[in-house]
Amino acid sequence: MKVVALVSGGKDSCYNMLECVRLGHEIVALANLHPPKESGQDEMDSFTFQTVGHSVLEHYAAAMGVPMYREAIQGTAVNQNLHYVPTETDETEDLYRLLRRVKEKLPDVQGVSVGAILSNYQRTRVENVCKRLGMYSLAFLWERDQHQLYEEMVESDIGAIFIKIAAMGLLPKHLGLSLAQMRNEMHRLGNLYELNMCGEGGEYETMTLDCPLFCKAIHIEDSTRVVHSDDAFAPVAYIQVAQASLEEKSDFPGCET
Amino acid sequence: MVNFTIDQIRSLMDKVTNVRNMSVIAHVDHGKSTLTDSLVSKAGIISSAKAGEARFTDTRQDEQDRCITIKSTAISMFFELNKEDLGEVKQKTDGNEFLINLIDSPGHVDFSSEVTAALRVTDGALVVVDCVEGVCVQTETVLRQALGERIKPVIIINKVDRALLELQVTKEDLYTSFQRTIESVNVIISTYFDKTLGDVQVYPDRGTVAFGSGLHGWGFTLRQFANRYAKKFGVDKEKMMARLWGENYFNPATRKWTTKAEDANGKPLERAFCMFVLDPIFKVFDSIMNFKKDQTKTMLEKLDIVLKTEESELEGKALLKVVMRKFLPAADALLEMLVIHLPSPVTAQAYRVENLYEGPQDDECAEGIRKCDPNAPLMLYISKMVPTSDKGRFYAFGRVFSGTVRSGQKVRIQGPNYLPGRKEDLFIKSIQRTILMMGRYIESIEDCPAGNILGLVGVDQFLLKSGTITTSETAHNLKVMKFSVSPVVRVAVEVKNANDLPKLVEGLKRLSKSDPCVQCYTSDSGEHIVAGAGELHLEICLKDLEEDHAQVPLKTGDPVVQYCETVQEESAITCLSKSPNKHNRIHMRAQPIDEELSKAIEDGRVHPRDDVKIRARVLADEFGWDVTDARKIWCFGPDTNGPNLLVDTTKGVQYLSEIKDSCIAAFQWATKEGVVAEENMRSCRFNVMDVTLHADTIHRGGGQIIPTCRRVIYASVLTATPGILEPIFLVEIQCPENAMGGIYGVLNRRRGHVFHEEQRPGTPLYNIKAYLPVNESFGFTADLRSHTGGQAFPQSVFDHWQLMSGNPLEAGTKVADLVKAVRKRKGLAEEIPSLDRYLDKM
Repeated sequence: MKVVALVSGGKDSCYNMLECVRLGHEIVALANLHPPKESGQDEMDSFTFQTVGHSVLEHYAAAMGVPMYREAIQGTAVNQNLHYVPTETDETEDLYRLLRRVKEKLPDVQGVSVGAILSNYQRTRVENVCKRLGMYSLAFLWERDQHQLYEEMVESDIGAIFIKIAAMGLLPKHLGLSLAQMRNEMHRLGNLYELNMCGEGGEYETMTLDCPLFCKAIHIEDSTRVVHSDDAFAPVAYIQVAQASLEEKSDFPGCET
Repeated sequence: MVNFTIDQIRSLMDKVTNVRNMSVIAHVDHGKSTLTDSLVSKAGIISSAKAGEARFTDTRQDEQDRCITIKSTAISMFFELNKEDLGEVKQKTDGNEFLINLIDSPGHVDFSSEVTAALRVTDGALVVVDCVEGVCVQTETVLRQALGERIKPVIIINKVDRALLELQVTKEDLYTSFQRTIESVNVIISTYFDKTLGDVQVYPDRGTVAFGSGLHGWGFTLRQFANRYAKKFGVDKEKMMARLWGENYFNPATRKWTTKAEDANGKPLERAFCMFVLDPIFKVFDSIMNFKKDQTKTMLEKLDIVLKTEESELEGKALLKVVMRKFLPAADALLEMLVIHLPSPVTAQAYRVENLYEGPQDDECAEGIRKCDPNAPLMLYISKMVPTSDKGRFYAFGRVFSGTVRSGQKVRIQGPNYLPGRKEDLFIKSIQRTILMMGRYIESIEDCPAGNILGLVGVDQFLLKSGTITTSETAHNLKVMKFSVSPVVRVAVEVKNANDLPKLVEGLKRLSKSDPCVQCYTSDSGEHIVAGAGELHLEICLKDLEEDHAQVPLKTGDPVVQYCETVQEESAITCLSKSPNKHNRIHMRAQPIDEELSKAIEDGRVHPRDDVKIRARVLADEFGWDVTDARKIWCFGPDTNGPNLLVDTTKGVQYLSEIKDSCIAAFQWATKEGVVAEENMRSCRFNVMDVTLHADTIHRGGGQIIPTCRRVIYASVLTATPGILEPIFLVEIQCPENAMGGIYGVLNRRRGHVFHEEQRPGTPLYNIKAYLPVNESFGFTADLRSHTGGQAFPQSVFDHWQLMSGNPLEAGTKVADLVKAVRKRKGLAEEIPSLDRYLDKM
C-alpha cells in the first residue's frame, strides 16, 4: 500500500514509518501541520498536534527523499469531546485539508501512517479524517506496551532528542538528551508520578534527527531553550531551533531525489 | 523468688479472668516508681529491704541518676487474695491466685507518648497523686488519656508521710486535703464521662482510693481498717467502710454512730475517719518521732506488731518505716485494691473492643477481642519497641487481644498504614520467639494467650514503632494510638566526622524505633532532623542517639520550633491553574477551618475513616458545615489525618473521580510543605470549585494533575491572607510565694503570660499556669531555676497553636522576618515565590 506519513518530527510518528516499511508498505509522501508563520509561535499548546520544532520539519523531505506536504494550523480545539464530529474551525479540519490535498496530488495513496499509541483523542480525529477521504489509518503502535516500545525505539536507532518537557519531574536540563540517555530517568519518574514512558500524556515531546529511513541526518546548528511557562513543580520548556542543516550519512547509499 | 516463678505465671496466663493489666500513671515526681518498687518487692523479685531505695523499674543509668522515669517498664507480679475476700471481686474469677502485669510509665510530660503506649495494653490504671501537691497538669493529661482508652482508674494518695512529718497538719486538715484531692480527680473523671465505661469516679468508702507512702512502704485503703473494726463493732465490713469516710461520727460516750458533727449537748465530735483511721497513724508517728519509747511499746503491742531484735534497736525515721510497713504493708493494700477493683481482660475487652478495633464490630476478630478468646484468630497490638542488649535490635512490646501467639507461628504483620485487601505495609513472617518482660529481665515462654502482655523477637524489622499482628486474612488494624504530645521542637544533627554519616543514618533509624513519639527525617536541604515533644525529650533522644544508636560524635544545631501555615480569610479570587500540557484546569478557593473542628480532627473525634454520612452529620450539627459539602470531603492532610480538608464542591464534572487520587497526592504534599515556608499547614479548607479535563484519559494522568493541583492549592493560600501559627506550651509551675516575682519576670521576658494562679490549700505553695511560646522555651527551666533560687520547677506541655499577628507576605512584619529565617535555614530562596508561579490565566 502506498502510504502518506503524518510526521510531527517526534519519535512515534517516525517509528510508525519504520513499522510501515517493515510490513511492506511504501512511504510516498510526508504530511505535516505547522503553526501559522504570522503567529510567530513555536508552541501552540494544540490538543492534537505537536508543533514544537516545526522548523526542523522543513528538512524532512530532503532527509527522507520523498515529497512533503504542509499546512498551517488555523483552527483551534473547538470540539474537545473524545469522539469527533466535523466541526468548523476545529484544528482537525486543518488535518482534513492537508490530507485532501495529498489525496488530490497522489490519488493512489491509500494509507495514512499515524504515530498514536494511547491517545484516543488523536486516533479518533485521524480516523475521522481518513474515513471522510476513504483512506486507511495505519497506527501500528496503537496500545503497545510503552516500556517495550521505548526499548524498541532505542534499539532501532531512532536518533531522537527531548525537545519539550511538560510534566512534574522533568526539568529543563533534560532538554536535548537522547532517548537512550533519558531511559533511566523516565523509569524513575514513571514510578514516582505515573508519567507515561512514551510521553503519550503530553509529558514530553521529541524531535527525530536521524533514523534508518533517513538518507541524510539532520544537524541542529543553532538553538535556544525557551521556558514556555515557569510554573512551580512542573515548568514547561522547549528547544527553539533557529537553524538546522542536513548531513550526508556515510553508511547510506544516498537518496534518489 | 519465694512466690514467683515463670511456670506459675505461665499457668496463670491461661486463667485470663485472674489477670490484671494495669499501668501506673502520675505527674512527674509524685512517686510512681518508688511505689511500684514496693509492689514489686511484694511479688518477690527484689528483696523487701531494698524497696524504696533501688528503683527497680528505672533500668537506665540516666533514669537512676536523674531520678525520673524515661521509658515505661513492664513487670509481671503474682498475688494471692485471701479466700474470704474473693466475694469482693465483682467479676468472674477462677481461684484466688492473680497475675498482675504492671507498667510503670514516665511522669514527665515530655514522655507522655510512653504513657499512651502503656495505656493501650492495659485495662486499669493506678493514678498516683502527691498528697501535698495534689492534682497537677500531668495527672490530668494522663487521666484524660486513660479514660479516652476506656481504662478504669483507682487512685493512691501518696507521700502522706510528708504531710505528717513536714507540714504537721491536724487530722481534720489532712482529711479535708484528701477529700479535696479526690474531688479534683473525680471532676476530671466526670468531665470525660463515657457511657459505656459507666461511673468510674473513685470513692474511698468503696475502696478505690488508697492512702500511703511509697517511700516508706506503707499504705492502706479503708478496707484494711474496716476489717479491723468490723469485728469490734459487730457490723458488716461494707457498712463499716462507708462509716469510715465522709460525714460519719462516733460518739464514744453513747457508743452510737451519727451523721452530725456535734453530740446532743453541742460538743464537737471527731470524724470517724480521723478517729479510727488517722488517729492510730498519728499516734505511731508521734510516739516514734518524738522518741516516746514507752508509748511506742504499748502502741506496738496494741497493733500486734512484733519487731525483730535488730529492728527494735532502730530509732526515729528508720524505726517509723519498719513499724509502718508492718502495720500497714503498702503492697498488700494496693495489690488487693487492684485485684478487686480493676477489670480483668475479659471484662475490659468486652467494652474496649469498639475503641480498639477499626474493622466491623461483628467480624471474627472483633468477636475474638470482645470475648478475649484464646482460640479465636490472633489479634495482637504492638505498642512500642524496647531496645535489646543486642545493638540495633528491638523487642516488640504489646498485648494479645485475641487468639494465642506462639513462637514460630506464621503471622501477618500489619503496619499503621495497612488497609484490608491491600499489600502495602504488610508482611507475612514467622514469630521468632515470644518472651515475658520483667523490668531488666526477660524470660522465654512457649506461647501466650489472649489478655496478656508480652514481647516478641524478630518483628522489629517489619514495624517502625507500632502495628497489628494477626492470623486472620480479613483482619483490619487495631486502632493507631493517638498521642497527647506532638513533636514541636526539632534540631538538626550532623556528624563531626564525615565518614560517620552512615552510622548516623542507621542510628536515626534506631532512635525513631525506640521512642513512640520522636520523629527522625531528612529535610529537602539534606539535614537530618530529630523532632521531640520538648527540650528534655530532645535532650534524652540526642544523648541516646550519640551514645547508643549511632555511637559516633555528633554536632547538633540550635533547637528550632515547628510552625504551621494557615489562611486567615477566604481566597480573594477563585484561583486557576493549568496542567503543563495546558489542557486541564483546576479552579480552587481556600478558607480557614474553625479552631474547634481542627482540634476535633487532631483529637481524633472527627476521623478520616469515620463513616462519611455520620461524619457529615457531626460536621453539620456541631461545626455548621453544609451537609452536602461535608459528604464530599475528599481527604484529610497532611499524612491523611491532619486538620486540613480537600472538599469537592464542583457540580457535574466529567471524569472527576479519575483525578481524585492525583489531587489527594498533591494535597498531601502541599499541606505537608506549605507555600510560605514549607511547614505543615493547619486549619485550611480547600474547595475544588470547578475542573476542566482533557477528554482523553491519557492526557490527564498524575504527571499532569499532581503539579496542577499543588499549584492551585498554593495559589489559593497566597490569595487567602496566609498566616503563621506558632506552638504554645502550657506551663505549670509550683513554687513558694517568695519565688513568684522571679517567675513573673522570666515569663514576661519570654512573651509568656500567666492566666491562673492559686494557692494550694493547706500548703505554702502556689500553683501557676501560664502560656509560653515554644520558641521562647529553650533554656526556660534553667532560667527559671536561677531566678528563683532553684525553687520553681516548670512542667511544659504543648497546648495549642496560636496565630501570629501579621501577614508573612507583607515585607517588614515580624512574621515575614520569621518566615525569611525559616526559609533561609531550610536552604530555600528567602522570598516567598510570587503568585504568578502558581496562578494561571484563562
